[in-house]
Amino acid sequence: MEYLVSATTDVGNVKKTNQDSINVKTMTINGEKVVMAVLCDGMGGLEKGEVASATVIKAFHKWTVEVLPGLYARGFTENDIRSEWTRLITENNEKIKLYGKRCAISLGTTITAILLAKGNYYCVNVGDSRTYEIYDQVVSLTKDQTVVARDVELGLITPEQAATDPRRSVLLQCIGASETVYPDFFFGKEKQNAVYMLCSDGFRHEISPEEIYAAFRPDNMMSADQMKENEIALIDLNKRRMERDNISVITIRTY
Amino acid sequence: MLQVGSLVDGKYRILSEIGHGGMSVVYMAINEKANKTWAIKEVRKDGVLDFEAVRQGLVVETDMLKKLKHQYLPSIIDVIDQDDSFLIVMDYVEGNSLEKALKEYGAQPQESVIEWAKQLCDVLGYLHTREPAIIYRDMKPANVMLKPDGHVTLIDFGTAREYKEKNLADTTCLGTIGYAAPEQFGGMGQTDARTDIYCLGATLYHLVTGMNPSEPPYEIKPICDINPGLSSGLERIILKCTQRNPDDRYQSCAELMYDLEHYEEIDDVHRKKQMRKLGLFAGMAVLSVAFAVGGFSVGQVARSKATDFYEEYMENADSATNDTEKIDYYTKAIAVPNKAGTEDAYLGLIKAIKSNNNESVFTAQEEEIIVSQIMNNRKELEANPEAYVDVCFELGKLYWYYYDNGNGDNQANRMKSSIKWFENAINYASEDYPNIGMCRVYSSIGSFYRDISTATVEASDRGLYRPFFDELNQLLDTVFADDEDEIVKLELLELARSAMQQYATKMKKDEVSLEEMQALYQKVESQLDAVATTTDATDEKKASTKALLTDTLHAIQLAYGAE
Repeated sequence: MEYLVSATTDVGNVKKTNQDSINVKTMTINGEKVVMAVLCDGMGGLEKGEVASATVIKAFHKWTVEVLPGLYARGFTENDIRSEWTRLITENNEKIKLYGKRCAISLGTTITAILLAKGNYYCVNVGDSRTYEIYDQVVSLTKDQTVVARDVELGLITPEQAATDPRRSVLLQCIGASETVYPDFFFGKEKQNAVYMLCSDGFRHEISPEEIYAAFRPDNMMSADQMKENEIALIDLNKRRMERDNISVITIRTY
Repeated sequence: MLQVGSLVDGKYRILSEIGHGGMSVVYMAINEKANKTWAIKEVRKDGVLDFEAVRQGLVVETDMLKKLKHQYLPSIIDVIDQDDSFLIVMDYVEGNSLEKALKEYGAQPQESVIEWAKQLCDVLGYLHTREPAIIYRDMKPANVMLKPDGHVTLIDFGTAREYKEKNLADTTCLGTIGYAAPEQFGGMGQTDARTDIYCLGATLYHLVTGMNPSEPPYEIKPICDINPGLSSGLERIILKCTQRNPDDRYQSCAELMYDLEHYEEIDDVHRKKQMRKLGLFAGMAVLSVAFAVGGFSVGQVARSKATDFYEEYMENADSATNDTEKIDYYTKAIAVPNKAGTEDAYLGLIKAIKSNNNESVFTAQEEEIIVSQIMNNRKELEANPEAYVDVCFELGKLYWYYYDNGNGDNQANRMKSSIKWFENAINYASEDYPNIGMCRVYSSIGSFYRDISTATVEASDRGLYRPFFDELNQLLDTVFADDEDEIVKLELLELARSAMQQYATKMKKDEVSLEEMQALYQKVESQLDAVATTTDATDEKKASTKALLTDTLHAIQLAYGAE
């Protein structure tokens, strides 16, 4: 599989700092193309959220560069990815918690990451950032770990109520502020001529799946430049609609 | 920051830092002249964005706190307002926090937890009855110190109220906001005394089970489900404290305190009430008279007498005009010696409970009647497996379709509660038991609902939806072929409908085809139309399922991307 990638982040309308961190890396291992994309939405008092998100991004980058090639060469399974990433997330949860304790602040970060390799996707999620697959429609691969998403699942509230629930920005867990983090994993076959998109919640509150599809549908994403333009267009749309959060998006086009 | 070794206000020598919170550091200090240790909380300027506002808040707050005097609160004895910081001098509390106790030893002994609960309830009640009332808002194990003498102290009290309001404009994580009661997220009305009661309930739950309610599976389960050795009285107390709606909780600490002081009797009261209701005493009295009349009759005679009594009670139950009387006679029949293993009285009891009070509801009170009858006579029943299997099957269905323990009508809850009865039936049934297939379907659908949320959290839910879908179909076919009650049919149709709406996407992933999905939908739609309703309640049920059909169809279309 071949890949085009693009990534954009924006501080947004209101906040003074951008606490989102993003990273996308394409590599060639044994002559085969691989993409690893990670997006973290940091949170915390005293503008330290970016410390948490950057810490996790760096840890995953290091893993991608140092560990993934060896793993790839030996051949890996879904379970290998599950245990490797769970370990990374657990380590960083402890690290950030300790940092928070030392500085007497609470901070944390979400993560959504996807590895495209060997015809499969390997996706992990903690919190409310999302990874989508866009082919003939927009499908979320991840499931939000939020209080309201859990309540919808349990049938306590409807999706419509969830959209306006005062608890809608409360995460069930995040890296750095949970006693133990239990990441969700999602695995599947990667599609050719599809777009994989990672985004922070700031990217998706004000725009509809239809608008995302219109901008990011595969035949509208034919070059890295075009992808970048489309990302900026949607971020601008978000800002015009008075989104208050930081806004970040990564897109990967397969062909 | 205060320097260790420095002298503050000419009196207090700073000895060491003992902790820090969001915007403050706590030091241990000694008044050298009086040779007494104190805790000094320093609110740092560098940790606060608008320090002037904070300082004003603190002045008001500490003035109020200085007036408080309670054995489970540290006293504030001095407030020092310096240029760059704000210092609060208060009692130094020896000991460890309950959070530390939880970390080191896990779940705490029930007796200790109840003792702490009473003390915390006492101090919260004291705060709530001040003029104006003080709401603590941050009850959690980390804020409770356990002193060497076994008493608790509520700490972290020196910060102004504003900081305890959860600021949820930004994204936050359950891990950092603790056991926030639903109303603390705003939008649900003011926080009040009942907010503290919620958080106290969550604290007790965490202490006594060792499970943090703000970690997976993020719920407060009945504590006896986690550890059957715990008191069911305490279970009730915790569940009542942590109701979502403040109106359903204890309304004051005084109410809660009463129950905490009588938690053992809550079980006892229940047992006694039940006994009275069951007429066990009456039954026993009648029997003893019977035996007295029969004189020193040999066992054979006693047995035939007993049979007579049994027949008589059963006949009385049959001819009784109201269900309460019927229940009474059936329980008397069960109490007849040597008859506890006969199924008819139990089946009669189940039937009477179903229609008792002219409502098709199986209440918690009725649950206790039937379950205690079965538990008390389990040995006799198990000795007669055919009877036991019938009773378990009928009771399972009673739970499945009629159970309402007062916590709102929750389909998932009803199904979960029924599982063990269907499983009992399966365990004791012989292979030629005609209903064994149904038992398996019920138990497996129930287990699906019990396990699905955990499975989704663990991402191991894939593959569970296909069998679930097939079982739904099977259950629908069997129930409609058997011509069951209208309420049974309506419940089942609603179950199938909500399952399609909720899990359409998942079912699609598990390879349920669009055709199969549509077939099930049409089955539900046409059978719903065909159900004839005879009461207002079933009318309403039918209408509400019908009203949701459009949404369901929409969900299916969305999942399958069909037009």
